[in-house]
Amino acid sequence: MTAGGIPLAAFITAMLAAGLVAAAPLVLAALGEAVGEKSGLLNLGIEGMMLSGAFFGFYAAYQTGGALWGVLAGIAVGLTLGLLFAVLTVSLRVDQVLVGLAITIFGGGLTAFLYRDIFGGQNPSLSVDTPRIAIPALSGIPILGDAMFNQGLLFYLAFLLVSVFAFLLARTRFGLQVRAVGEHPFAADASGVDVTRTRYLAALIAGAMAGLAGAFLSVADLKIFQVGMTVGTGFIALALTMVGGWNPYRILLASVLFGLLRSLGNGLQILGIDVRTEFITMLPYIGIMVALALLAGRTSLPAALGVPYARGRR
Amino acid sequence: MNRSGRRQTGDGQITPAAALSPHRPSPITHHPVTRSPIVQMRDISKRFGPVLANDRISLDLWPGEVHAVLGENGAGKTTLMNVLAGMYQPDAGTIRIAGEEVQITSPADALRRGIGTVYQHFTLVPNLSILENVVLGAEGGFLVDLGAAEAKVASMLGEFGLDVSPQTEIRHLALGQRQRIEIIKVLFRGTRVLLLDEPTSVLTPGEVTSLLELLRRLRDQGVAVVLITHKLGEALAVSDRVTILRGGRAVGDLGPDVMSGANRESVRQRIVEQMFGGSQPSGSHLPTASAQNRVIPRNEESRLQDVHGGGELRFFAGAQNGMSPAELLSLRGISTSGDRGSPPLHDLSLDLNSGEVFGIAGVDGNGQKELGEVIAGQRPVTSGKILLNGVDITNRGVAVATRLGIGYVTDDRLHEGSVAGSSITDNVALKSIGRKPFSNGFWLNRRAMEEQARRLITEFDVKTPGPDTAIGTLSGGNIQKLLLARELALEPKLLICNKPTTGLDLRTARFVIQSLRDQADAGKVVVLISSELDELLEISDRIGVMYNGQLVAVIPRAAADLETIGNLMLGGTRRPRRVPA
Repeated sequence: MTAGGIPLAAFITAMLAAGLVAAAPLVLAALGEAVGEKSGLLNLGIEGMMLSGAFFGFYAAYQTGGALWGVLAGIAVGLTLGLLFAVLTVSLRVDQVLVGLAITIFGGGLTAFLYRDIFGGQNPSLSVDTPRIAIPALSGIPILGDAMFNQGLLFYLAFLLVSVFAFLLARTRFGLQVRAVGEHPFAADASGVDVTRTRYLAALIAGAMAGLAGAFLSVADLKIFQVGMTVGTGFIALALTMVGGWNPYRILLASVLFGLLRSLGNGLQILGIDVRTEFITMLPYIGIMVALALLAGRTSLPAALGVPYARGRR
Repeated sequence: MNRSGRRQTGDGQITPAAALSPHRPSPITHHPVTRSPIVQMRDISKRFGPVLANDRISLDLWPGEVHAVLGENGAGKTTLMNVLAGMYQPDAGTIRIAGEEVQITSPADALRRGIGTVYQHFTLVPNLSILENVVLGAEGGFLVDLGAAEAKVASMLGEFGLDVSPQTEIRHLALGQRQRIEIIKVLFRGTRVLLLDEPTSVLTPGEVTSLLELLRRLRDQGVAVVLITHKLGEALAVSDRVTILRGGRAVGDLGPDVMSGANRESVRQRIVEQMFGGSQPSGSHLPTASAQNRVIPRNEESRLQDVHGGGELRFFAGAQNGMSPAELLSLRGISTSGDRGSPPLHDLSLDLNSGEVFGIAGVDGNGQKELGEVIAGQRPVTSGKILLNGVDITNRGVAVATRLGIGYVTDDRLHEGSVAGSSITDNVALKSIGRKPFSNGFWLNRRAMEEQARRLITEFDVKTPGPDTAIGTLSGGNIQKLLLARELALEPKLLICNKPTTGLDLRTARFVIQSLRDQADAGKVVVLISSELDELLEISDRIGVMYNGQLVAVIPRAAADLETIGNLMLGGTRRPRRVPA
């Protein structure tokens, strides 16, 4: 059997692979966002942090020729912006929505300026080596094997981190503190939890993960940088965090479904099915809105989300 | 008797404090044999803005004793406790634990020093399990060792009579159960000094009894239990020691010798006298919350009594036959559903007559606010009737009540009473914004609004840069004046004021009280809800006392005195005016 002249099995494998690769940065960013939101921090700056991670990751990899440096640079810039977010919202108690949007706008402007200033009219691509690593035995599974188990290192890391974050939130002291601080900061404080410290750490994790997600896009996946290349991925990650109910495994599920819908759209175009492309590209976003609408009222936001905490106020 | 000794010679039963703190024995657990206070607070002062919430309070806490800190709302109890719990830093004074002077820098620090607090508003995270809540904030490594803690928590749950799994989420528990979890939580951390802030306010009578039983047990295990309450009965039932706070100061201290004495009745009398009585200790050069709120010198009282004496009798007679032509508002068998923490009104009847100030006394949370809201049309009633001039206005809402001449000044000035971020002009016009002259039905007449604001500012002597100032930036007294001015500008026939002088300076308080009396003298009805008995006695024609959602007594001014009312407020019965020798 073939599809549009391509063997069907190969077509499905390619679609799966594309869907999973599209899901990976969403998973990374959404995991970080989940920790942030669980601690009571709504980070709308995630888009700007991703874009900054993408640019600085790209630039570092371009200068050094090493993908690892690119990834580290992405994380570093994410940490920096996460720290900025924490200082403004946790210590100075500025409104989280305003700070987040400011960081998003700032990230977009800064990266556009730097990219044009540094690279002028050229649009170089990276010549870094990000080898595919075939996992023995598993990669031999028909159809699935090549899509899931013959990918780059960062791809594996993204999916591995799902379990790490699930463990972090559920089983560690830090995770317990994060959940308590986002739900009832006064209770946490009265119990001896350092609310400020916990929220700072959560903001740093959220920033680092957003930066890493950005670096994934530019360094590992596309090997180029484009102005505004995240095109809303950060906000999608934000939505997926809620669709996934702050649970890492459900976030994974939601992200993969979103990624698959997106690659399905591309696949339909390749197959030459006569549907307007605008409609096809809308598909995953409509899917998210439907999911959010269905979940409305059934998810419970962390009670202290967006609310600054100050001890002894009266 | 050396109670603290019991802890070591006990029958082998687990003392939570000692058994459950294996990693980190509290430094103070080493001193139980020496009969000395475990905590010594000396001259603690704490100020919030203009209010001196704690004025040089000293307090000793002894191991193996229940120590009640009694006082009305606003007496400074919770502030004092928060200082010891590390929530507030005192402005002055020292704290010693086991003889060593310490700075308690945070709640975590207090817990490390063996001081555990059960707050009035519980500090449990609803969607975490019992186990997670108990270990939250406890020291440990990277991982939460829930396994090790689970057995201990399970045994404590059993010991505390809770038949639930440690994995149960808090949100599934009843309030009384949650409170026990709170206690378990602090004992788990090695608490030797257990502070409880108004622990019975959310409990049913049965739960109260078993809580007090539990506190006795903890005391016998050597814990220093601090019971912060305004309920005298509880304090008498379990306390070895009582400290009475009033207006931010410690005005009385009763030791075990007195508390264990046979004559409960005289102890009760003494405490009532100290909580509500007229004799204030003098000698402070600092203005205190109490001094600011105290309106009348005692010697003026009798004069005022004479002034209004004739009126009282007339109004009282009118109220009794219920047919007085002066009767304006009549509540017939009013019941409401209650909010959490305060009782519903139950079958309450009351007639209010033109030209009188009807004072409502009661300890906070006994239904006074609810009664005020019912009259104002702000709180629906589940049964009963409200008649205004004979017209049924039951459950007709605030707009109708306002139009018919009922005004209400809430005690929550900043949230319920005003839009803090909006200008004085907007706030003043808010209650009649859709009406002339402020509006022609569509457009606002800003000039008329501003004129009105300027007029009220001048008339009521409000200190503000101008009518455009955000009302929330004014002092409490100035906001109060504006809220009162706003109601009076509507020329109500009946005005309800809930604690109008709280936090005001002496002069403003006097002004407010005088304005209310003037209204009544002009033929209006004023309902004054207050926790300041002095001011109630000063201007009321009749005083109703509320307890547990009921109007337990209505006393004409001539027959009212501080002790009778204080006793009724605390759930006592009315007794003849006889001062025990």
